Amino acid sequence: MEKLQHLKEEALQAIESCETLSQLQEKRVLYLGKKGPIQDVMKMMKDLPPEQRPSFGASVNEIKSAIAALIEEKKARLEEIEMNQRLEKEKIDITLEGYQPTIGNVHPLTLVQQELEDLFIGLGYTVAEGPEVELDFYNFERANIPQGHPARDMQDTFYINKEVLLRTHTTAIQTRQLEKHAPNPIKVICPGKVYRRDDDDATHSHQFTQMEGLVVAKDIKLSDLKGTLEFMANKMFGEGRKIRFRPSYFQFTEPSVEVDVSCHICNGKGCPVCKGTGWIEVLGAGMVHPNVLEMAGYDSTQMSGFAFGVGVERVAMLKYGIDDIRHFYTNDVRFLKMFKRFD
Amino acid sequence: MITSKKWLSQYMDLSDLTSEQLADKMTTAGLEVEGLEPMAQGTNLTIGYVKECVDHPNSDHLHVCQVDLKDRVEQIVCGAPNVRAGLKVIVAKVGAKLIGGEIKNSVIRGVESNGMICSLLELGVDAKQLSDYQKSGIEELGEDAPIGEDPLAYLGLDDTLLDVGLTPNRSDCLASFALAKEVGAILHKKVTLPDYENASDIGEPTKLKVHSATDKCPLFLGKVIKEVTIKPSPKWMQQLLHAAGVKSINNVVDISNLVMLETGQPTHFYDIEKMHQDIVVSDGFDTTYTALDGVEYKIEPEDIMITTQGKPVGIAGLMGGDDSKIDESTKGIIIEVATFNYVQCRNTARRLNITSDAAIRNSKEIEPGAPKKAMDRCVQLLIEYADAKGIEETAVYGNPHVEEKSFTVSVTNINKRLGTQFKAEEMMDVLTWLDFQPKCENDQIHVTIPSYRNDIAIEADISEEIIRLIGFDSLGSTLPLMEMTQGELDKLQKMNRTIRQLLTHMGAYESESYTLVSAKHIEDAILGLNPVVELASPMSEDRKYVRNSLLPSMLDVLSYNQNRKASDLSLFELSNVYGQDTVEEHLGLVMSGSLQKNRWMKIDIKANFYTLKGMIETLLSSFGFEKTRIKIKENDLDTVHYHPYASALVYIGKELFGIFGVVHPIMAKKYDVSSDSVMAECNLEVLLKNKASKVKFEGISKYPSVSRDLALVVKKDINVGVITDTIRKCSKFIKNVEVFDVYTGEHVAEDSKSIALSILFQSSEKTLTDQEINDVHQKILDALKKECNAQLRG
Repeated sequence: MEKLQHLKEEALQAIESCETLSQLQEKRVLYLGKKGPIQDVMKMMKDLPPEQRPSFGASVNEIKSAIAALIEEKKARLEEIEMNQRLEKEKIDITLEGYQPTIGNVHPLTLVQQELEDLFIGLGYTVAEGPEVELDFYNFERANIPQGHPARDMQDTFYINKEVLLRTHTTAIQTRQLEKHAPNPIKVICPGKVYRRDDDDATHSHQFTQMEGLVVAKDIKLSDLKGTLEFMANKMFGEGRKIRFRPSYFQFTEPSVEVDVSCHICNGKGCPVCKGTGWIEVLGAGMVHPNVLEMAGYDSTQMSGFAFGVGVERVAMLKYGIDDIRHFYTNDVRFLKMFKRFD
Repeated sequence: MITSKKWLSQYMDLSDLTSEQLADKMTTAGLEVEGLEPMAQGTNLTIGYVKECVDHPNSDHLHVCQVDLKDRVEQIVCGAPNVRAGLKVIVAKVGAKLIGGEIKNSVIRGVESNGMICSLLELGVDAKQLSDYQKSGIEELGEDAPIGEDPLAYLGLDDTLLDVGLTPNRSDCLASFALAKEVGAILHKKVTLPDYENASDIGEPTKLKVHSATDKCPLFLGKVIKEVTIKPSPKWMQQLLHAAGVKSINNVVDISNLVMLETGQPTHFYDIEKMHQDIVVSDGFDTTYTALDGVEYKIEPEDIMITTQGKPVGIAGLMGGDDSKIDESTKGIIIEVATFNYVQCRNTARRLNITSDAAIRNSKEIEPGAPKKAMDRCVQLLIEYADAKGIEETAVYGNPHVEEKSFTVSVTNINKRLGTQFKAEEMMDVLTWLDFQPKCENDQIHVTIPSYRNDIAIEADISEEIIRLIGFDSLGSTLPLMEMTQGELDKLQKMNRTIRQLLTHMGAYESESYTLVSAKHIEDAILGLNPVVELASPMSEDRKYVRNSLLPSMLDVLSYNQNRKASDLSLFELSNVYGQDTVEEHLGLVMSGSLQKNRWMKIDIKANFYTLKGMIETLLSSFGFEKTRIKIKENDLDTVHYHPYASALVYIGKELFGIFGVVHPIMAKKYDVSSDSVMAECNLEVLLKNKASKVKFEGISKYPSVSRDLALVVKKDINVGVITDTIRKCSKFIKNVEVFDVYTGEHVAEDSKSIALSILFQSSEKTLTDQEINDVHQKILDALKKECNAQLRG
């Protein structure tokens, strides 16, 4: 019996000291195998008196299962250790570059134009477009700029022939819309490319983008224009923008105003962007001239309207701090890639 | 236009306002002051008298001067060639701040110097206003200059110039009399103009005949003044002209210029001895004419000319002739005041590049009352400052009488247009300050418009006057009240947005290039519209045509970027393109290098024919045009711009949607792009016109799918598309056919290629048995053998 006890202790110690699964397997074979010491002890049982055999057998079985249990336990522990060792070997360098799928983005002018479109669509406006190769009639005559009028000085025009030109402003879309909808109400915005005979430099471009808005209905008034433009200024340049009207002159409107938005950089305190004035000139606008309405087929005593126009490049330049209008048309990808955003 | 605070101060008291305050108020009311500039700058200036002037001991050009400043005598070293004893000069005392810096006590080559004797240039006076002599040395003041006093006040340079940007409707303000009225209305200040009315309604009978042979001159006033004395004009007049940027010549010429500045009406004075007293305005000349500036101008038949005895003596309203001009010997004059067609004047002035003050004014509509006012004012000033005698009565062609314009407006309507609640009295106040002689009766105000306000014609114009002079601060904010409308994009606009979204998510950047292009771009149009739209007078050869296709300009963009070391490029553009009678919405795509890349992970998806093809197919399937609804065909349409064997046409139904593929090497060279560049031009109208498939739910099969691989050998000229089509037609159980290898080379005959395919079988009704699949498989092999002469690869 004493030998038995000794064997048990020796086995448990041997198992406990195993460091790998293969050592453990060796010990299993050693202690629990057919040629192991337990079997040897079992063989001794036949030499014992019969009355001692049951208790001896029970003791041997107990030792046997204790060894087996320890081996299982040890095995689980060693397996965990080995797995952890294996995982450690699989350690990766998380600082290596990930695979970033290339996605492109829209042109900054599209970005601004879509933003403007969306905010006006939300107010119930539809988006109207029109031909860039336009009739003099819609570009000038119907916009209340007759032949020989000094206002044509302001618009040096690319003519194709006497009657056809490249539109100089998106007002041409408005005059077409007025004709199409008269005598019914209108609520449209008119974005598009326009062209003037300007030499290209940092602030001038022979091609640029405008977006005009037009509302005609009964009792439309100048204060409606102010409210609408305040809404737009807040959406485009951030909450808290104020707007200011200054008298101006456009053939298409009477009264006409220049619209300043309080500077979004300095909040109106004065900075280099607003040249210290706290205000930035952004829009031209006014009440649609009665002549324009009448020419299109409206009764100007019954219907009135407002119109406004904004330069898309100008808004983009202000919003993003772009210093040269030619960037928009050079399409250097280093420039194009700057406008990746989803706001 | 340029005016100054002193100019305006002639007519009203502005002593309570700084120049800045004045500019601010004018701007707020619509006369935008774009620049505010003192005529001369400098502090601590005084008039000094050079008592003594000796050569500097250590210099060959400096002088040492003893200058009397009234309270003391200072020693000043001066380098000007014209400095000498006995001169009265401008002295900047120690501590003076000039444009060039502060004046300090100094020692110049061993001699002490306490101040500086100044030229007008050093005080910031516009060089254009100065003679060469003035520019080359110090300013020499007159005998009457008071020693110790402010030299700027003495010279009339203590004034501030206002650069006013006039809107085209307010050219009346080019006349300082009208400008004064406007500023008075803004400031609520009483304006007093000189009393010159009817000053020209005097004179003895005249022999002068004036006539116009063209309808471009409806009014001509001529007047003979037999005697005038030519001399310098008074100092106040010289100073006013100086402020307006006009050089003083002599009293008579100065009066002509001053009257133009005051009334807005250009006049012309002829030397009576050099002119026949028979003046005819005429056009129809086709000749050359040398004007008083010595330039020979080419005269076209449309130009208006002043003639006498059939010969031109001036270009009407723009420039007179040298033969009849006023000079020191002039004894008497003929005054011309006329109305010329402003559109013609503008066209002529622009063509001949004449930008004189007279040309600027005659190129705009001048108020109808101006000619008579100008004549009156000329006569008045000539009598006073040029001893005019022998004045004859005015010879008149046309009708100088001006009809008064008056109409009635409604207080309610004006408030309705503006969204305001102004009272009738408030409106009356504004209209009174404007001299519109308002008369109010209940809701009605009757106005009579002064002749110079030819911009005022209807009620809307009056509403503008009311709001701008009461001030826009009084305007509230409202939103339009009208029937509800649904805001939305139309079909094309929605499509364009979707295309932008799809292509950017596929890695492409949107570009925007110019519409106007060169002949080269038109020549290389792809799917171009014809005939092309050409500008009548382009600014350059590069911008001569309205583009009829996008790709040539996009290749320029590609080249620009490739030349700046960007090789992985994927760009698209959406734009209208034009022909003479057609417009189409096009999509252009150009790509080169890699589309997706991570080098250490060995990911590198190249821009090539197949990636471009896949992008177009994805785009089309997103619009409901699955592969089964489109056809990719060999490019037999354009093998000049495209690689003839690596490009294709895309059809939707029978209509050509686009061309895509590898750029032709000649084209690549011409546009300086890499030869691996690929490009596509698509006509989006085709997409809009064709009906797309709708999204439709299909049951998801519960039964397993089985995949079988197949390796075939076919002749090289057999297209894979024919093989996959043949397979698909064999059974409804075939759900997908995928090519996973195409091989030529070893173990395959020279004229053949090996193709490996994976075929997916599935039924939505049952689990397919091996036997069923084997049957289909055999059917496929038979069909491939028959259609493509395909052999199973051993």
